[in-house]
Amino acid sequence: MPAPLLVIEHLRVDFPEVVAVNDVSLTIEAGDVCGLIGPNGAGKTTTMRAVSGLQECTRGSVRIGGHELAREPQELKRWLGFMPDFCPVYDQLTAAEFLDHFARAYGVPNRARRIEECLELTWLTEKTNSLCEELSRGMKQRLVLAKTLLPDPQVLLLDEPASGLDPLGRIELRKILLQLRDTGKAVLISSHILTELSGFCNTAAIMERGKLVTCGAISELGRKMSQRKISVKWRADGDKAREILKSANAKNLESSATGATFDFDGGADALDELLKTLIIQGVRISEWHAGGDDLEQIFLQSGAKELM
Amino acid sequence: MNLNDNPIFLTQKRLVHRGGVLAAILIAALVGLSLLSGLIAYLADPLNFNFPSPQEAGKMFYGWVIGVEILVLVVGGFSRISRTLAEERKAGLWDSNRLTPLKPTQLVTGYWLGSPLRELYMAAVLAGIGLVIVLLAKLSVTLWLGTQILIFSTALFFGLLAVLVGMVFQRPQGGVIFLLALFFFQSFSFTMPKLMLTNFLLPTYGIANLFMESGNSSNDDSIREWSGLPQIFGLPVYPILLSLGLQLIVGVFLWRSAVRKTAKPFQPLMLRWEAVAIFGILLVAQHGLIWGIWHGHFPEIQSWAGRPRFYESEPLISIVHCGTILLATIILAAASPPPESVRVKAMRLGVRNLGAIFPGSAVSLALALAAVAAVILLTQCALSFGSSREIYLIAVGNLLAFFLIFSLLLEFCRLRFKRRALGFVALWLFVLCVLPFILAGVFTNAAFGKLSLLAPGVVALANAHEENLNNLLGIVAGHFGIVVLLFIYWQRQWKQLLANAA
Repeated sequence: MPAPLLVIEHLRVDFPEVVAVNDVSLTIEAGDVCGLIGPNGAGKTTTMRAVSGLQECTRGSVRIGGHELAREPQELKRWLGFMPDFCPVYDQLTAAEFLDHFARAYGVPNRARRIEECLELTWLTEKTNSLCEELSRGMKQRLVLAKTLLPDPQVLLLDEPASGLDPLGRIELRKILLQLRDTGKAVLISSHILTELSGFCNTAAIMERGKLVTCGAISELGRKMSQRKISVKWRADGDKAREILKSANAKNLESSATGATFDFDGGADALDELLKTLIIQGVRISEWHAGGDDLEQIFLQSGAKELM
Repeated sequence: MNLNDNPIFLTQKRLVHRGGVLAAILIAALVGLSLLSGLIAYLADPLNFNFPSPQEAGKMFYGWVIGVEILVLVVGGFSRISRTLAEERKAGLWDSNRLTPLKPTQLVTGYWLGSPLRELYMAAVLAGIGLVIVLLAKLSVTLWLGTQILIFSTALFFGLLAVLVGMVFQRPQGGVIFLLALFFFQSFSFTMPKLMLTNFLLPTYGIANLFMESGNSSNDDSIREWSGLPQIFGLPVYPILLSLGLQLIVGVFLWRSAVRKTAKPFQPLMLRWEAVAIFGILLVAQHGLIWGIWHGHFPEIQSWAGRPRFYESEPLISIVHCGTILLATIILAAASPPPESVRVKAMRLGVRNLGAIFPGSAVSLALALAAVAAVILLTQCALSFGSSREIYLIAVGNLLAFFLIFSLLLEFCRLRFKRRALGFVALWLFVLCVLPFILAGVFTNAAFGKLSLLAPGVVALANAHEENLNNLLGIVAGHFGIVVLLFIYWQRQWKQLLANAA
């Protein structure tokens, strides 16, 4: 079992009139990409700022690679890469100069080579000598991502990284994140757009009003869900299938000649049982999709409803 | 500390160079060369000018050169540093840099020395032309050396101040407003050059004195006041050394604050012991400068040496009293932790009672500052305490009441009104300090003015021989009534906040 790279325990952040983060505990292991999901104002950015040391915590602790952030903040700076939800760049520097500034600051060996690699990774090679002010928002976003990856940090905190990216950029971002996951990094990525996170997050944490509503592996969260959206297609015996579904208490059943969709209240075991019954009764199932591993379903059932 | 290894410095340098430096250098060169050509024209044909000697002409032209140099390096540099920092904070670059493994000292140094490079180049050109003027006019090289040392040390000193201003002010133009306010207060001290600390911290006396000492042909009183050595508790001190010493001491505190604020931005600007120390050092230096008038026998004048032209000696100590209040106000505002951070700390430590809050609050700091001020004020009347006891008590009581009212107001308003706190503090200070003077003017009755929170100490110290001191003691007692009232409200507000936090 991989060692947890990032451990957040009972984190609390107070603002003058509100508790922005309230008793949040989260563990991210090497190779995990954890989606931090929640509506605007849920406390995602504050959590990330507190983890990176930019925001003072009232209580709680953050451990990175077994080291306490509060005790060894200077040492852990090389372990942590934080990408904020906006693009802090020096407008009058070129992309390469901007990266050179941070490469020097992090003491990156073989600076020129590493800068080249990061520019290539974020598809900015062509913009190496362009001034930052000439870059589009999406390009700036990628440049800041390149800056975050420069020192090869073990833990990455990405706050809304895809917000300025076009569809192609999002696909490429997904590839980078999968690559990072494969290299054993721990990634905490926040978004309020769930489709952005689907596909590459293997764990999720849902926040609302500063509190963690639920967290865990996406497959596990899907299993725990009380209601799922099921879609089934059959080749024949549709009437029999409809009868079985009705008797199994399928809700909001909408059926056609070739299939049906319905909501199912039972747990994962009950759902397995239903599929088994359909097959035993001779229904020729051609397609079976149990929603649940999908973030939107998890989010909607988590209690955090104000999805923006 | 190698600047070539400092990425912040290198980037700032790169940004300055990318913005262009040649035009700025040429402007400085043209200004300097214009002044130099004026001197050359005088030397070629002295009869066309009104200068009594080449030295006087040289001093005039060199004076203009360093005037422009000060404007560029001190004012321009200050504005540049504070604006750069405020803008980078706003853009998020400050946080990005703070997250790198760079040490806070590297960050501070990078902005402090890197962002005003254009101004530094301009000043270097002007300094070079200034040297040529000094040599051509056969003035002493020490005039050039002394003035340049003072200008560059002042630029470094104000640069550090600018770093702090940039870290604290939300808007980029905040630094300029701060600087203008500073010069406004500084202008009051020009009428008593040798006796006011501000003339040494911003080394106007040192620079003017170098001009005077390099051959003065005028007998004008206003010029003679800028000659000779100032005294600290009777000991003559070289003005350059006094300025450099003061800038160094205060600069060390500014440096510590800037580095600490970079490492831990949630802390107040000054630690409590630093606040007390800096307040004490500045107050000792100021009372040392005016000590020669009374020699500890206030209000009996012992020596008229250094007496200012426009002020009698007694109002002078009233001005120092006002300066003490102003300095304490700035220090209390800078060193008092925001109640939110005190509350957070209390919650973290599990503290629920006021007893634990009080030592960390602005109110206890106000008490410490008042104690320091009381001890230092005693130097002026220690040898005549029998006759000056009441005046002393009124002055110290006034300081204590003001400091306590300000600190209680500051914390009460921060707790009660949060982001609108500053406006409410200003409102109450206006009511307590300024409104009585307005009423005194409207009703042509000076008695209203004496009710002001600023009045009792100032009036007692200024009119030591005439004033009915019992009335003033009564007014001070009244001010303590306000202190008690505010303390009750302050206490309630804290209790409520701690209860909510629990």
